[in-house]
Amino acid sequence: MKIIEVDQLRVVYSNKDGDRVALDGVSLGVGGESIALLGPNGAGKSTLMGALAGTLTADDGTIRRNYENGLGVVFQTPALDELLTVRENLALAGALHGMTKNAIGSAINSITASLELTDRLDQQVRHLSGGLKRRADLARALLPNPGLLLLDEPTSGLDVEARASLWSSLDSIRNGSEMAVIYATHMTEEAAKADRVVLLADGKIVIDGAPAELIEGLGSSVLRIRLPDETQAEAIKAWSKEIGCPSVSRGNEVLISHAKPEHAGKCPGEPELITLAAPTLEDVYLWHARSSFSGGEL
Amino acid sequence: MNGMGAAIALGKRELIRQVRQPSRIVASIVTPLLVWVFFVGGFSSAVGQNNTDQNLTAYMIPGVASLTVMFASIFASISLIQDRHDGVLRAALISPAPRWSIVVGKVGAGALVAMLQGLVVLAALPFLGVEMSVLGAIGACVGLGLISIALIGLGLGLAWIVDSSQGFHGIMNAVLMPMWLTSGAVFPINDAAGWLKIIAMANPLSWAHSAIRGSLGMPGIEGVPVGLDWLISAMFAGGCIVLATAVMGQASKRR
Repeated sequence: MKIIEVDQLRVVYSNKDGDRVALDGVSLGVGGESIALLGPNGAGKSTLMGALAGTLTADDGTIRRNYENGLGVVFQTPALDELLTVRENLALAGALHGMTKNAIGSAINSITASLELTDRLDQQVRHLSGGLKRRADLARALLPNPGLLLLDEPTSGLDVEARASLWSSLDSIRNGSEMAVIYATHMTEEAAKADRVVLLADGKIVIDGAPAELIEGLGSSVLRIRLPDETQAEAIKAWSKEIGCPSVSRGNEVLISHAKPEHAGKCPGEPELITLAAPTLEDVYLWHARSSFSGGEL
Repeated sequence: MNGMGAAIALGKRELIRQVRQPSRIVASIVTPLLVWVFFVGGFSSAVGQNNTDQNLTAYMIPGVASLTVMFASIFASISLIQDRHDGVLRAALISPAPRWSIVVGKVGAGALVAMLQGLVVLAALPFLGVEMSVLGAIGACVGLGLISIALIGLGLGLAWIVDSSQGFHGIMNAVLMPMWLTSGAVFPINDAAGWLKIIAMANPLSWAHSAIRGSLGMPGIEGVPVGLDWLISAMFAGGCIVLATAVMGQASKRR
């Protein structure tokens, strides 16, 4: 059974400059898995998160929720009261979810132990570092043991160590749990940790699949060609057609998938830089985002 | 779920915030004290020197107490704007806690603080020759509480719609100041000109002032059934809570 099912969701923002379609017929089913929502700014990630969280009304479409114990949400900035201690914030979160005092007490003890926050429980949030605040915020979202956890760019503004620590905490919490996790991110290395990656562009789902499958879709190698100017891009794309490899371009850069090592030396024109490498999720992202935006071919 | 637990937890949070911000504590004590010193030490002497009735000063005290409550209420409700975008309220809004519990929690704590500030001002009355019984003080306290509940409820509803601190301040001042000025806070309604009397009678704040003055043994609105002022004041407070809950019940879509 799906924990949450989204069907043909449409959200339109209206203002004096006109209408902007933020989500255009998005459908998504989520089981007990982790999903990374990837996409450029304005792709609709935060709007979809808002609709899933129920803080935003969709203009059309349906969302069916089948989870127990409610929903946990980690926002782009911590939803903690800086003047309250970590314990007071967590107790408040528990009360908002209708938990009893005893249940709140034992949940605080177990979650803060998992997230290595036990010695910070009685510190005011304003005295914590950015990384600790995020962990405390994660503890807040996890306190009611939610069926669905939403994280909206949870590592934005964190340094490398704090990011790694947050993901490691999340992994240990998820281990053996049935909880579904959906997180929005700009970072392909964070998206690669998910069971499924959903790429949004212009309010539509462009791709949806397991990271390994998506990477496999680009073949064994990707040729990345940087040109002195974008006028040469069309010639490179014509050449890629000749050699039977799909390509996309944006500006002065062309990506060619399913490339072979010998193609690198035969590239026409005067490229500034040619790299041939095994595809990554970043290539998948660039490939599909560019295809959607530039009308390039797959 | 039972929303009372959530309301109490949110109210407790507001009170903790109040206590942990020294500037707010100082402001909440100093403001009514300054008003107190002004009326007891300055204004009453000036009125006395002009051979007018010193009870004019005493008459104005409940109105000034309600003004103090009004400012405290605006302060309590404006926090919703920031709280909704950057603060803990985002977590409250996605929780299963009913919206009324968020309103009750914010209003309850805000009203308690505002009421205490109003009481500091009312404590000037014995120094102006008005004897205050325990029952009278309790009545005045309830009256100030009702004003505060109503104004915070109104403020929360407005803060939800307006979504900017500057806009909120502008609208609250434009609505509340005329409300306060025409409520008999600084003049007896019974002696007012006909048109002003009509406006005052339609103003729910006038009835709250009448209820407070009545419980302190001062003249309220004349010629109306006993208890009507309390009934209207309670209905105003309840109505504003319902309004705030209804407004906050709407999911938003802004960008």
